[in-house]
Amino acid sequence: MSRRILIIDDEDDIRQVAALSLETVAGWDVIVASSGAQGLLRAAEHQPDAILLDVMMPGMDGPTTFRELRKNPATAKIPVLLLTAKVQGADQRRFADLGVEAVLLKPFDPLTLSSQMEKVLGWD
Amino acid sequence: MAQALARLWTKFQPDIEQRVATLEVAAQALPAGSLTDEQRESAHAAAHKLAGTLGMFGLHRGTALARQAELALAEDIRSSATVELSSELSSWIAELRAVIADRK
Repeated sequence: MSRRILIIDDEDDIRQVAALSLETVAGWDVIVASSGAQGLLRAAEHQPDAILLDVMMPGMDGPTTFRELRKNPATAKIPVLLLTAKVQGADQRRFADLGVEAVLLKPFDPLTLSSQMEKVLGWD
Repeated sequence: MAQALARLWTKFQPDIEQRVATLEVAAQALPAGSLTDEQRESAHAAAHKLAGTLGMFGLHRGTALARQAELALAEDIRSSATVELSSELSSWIAELRAVIADRK
């Protein structure tokens, strides 16, 4: 089933590899945003099926962006998966406590990123 | 997929090498006691980004090395530990450069 995914990450290489992965392996449509602020606009405009959201970004970071998404009725129900290179358990628990669907770790495997997402989102 | 990933590797390799160069600046400043907070923070951020990126391109050893550097640069560094840390960082950087150079 075709899905539309919004990737919000300030790092160009991560965005492009994630987009390549989701488009090529899963055949999903991908929209990208390079900042939290841009991500809020794109989410409201495109109504993606899920959002892949980086944690550490300059300006509006991932947790703040997530809270703003939840405040807006137009984006409040879109599932959000946090993407982080922080591997320590305490960090991951803190992120999971925000109420996101899942916390995915960087580096991800481009061949299995979409199946990881399908699994946590119950799309498989 | 592999070909497209290889194209992205070629595209982003200069950025990745720039991050390693940022780490190198910190490693060289350490033994002289001239590492500024700004340099340490830049090097810490560079290591964090390398850790998140290299494994995506199949360079899992690179991610492990970058994580070691990230942890070492996470907090204020005691002056008594600078020579030892500089040596460790230099060793990790040399291996990182080799791992990156070997990626076809």
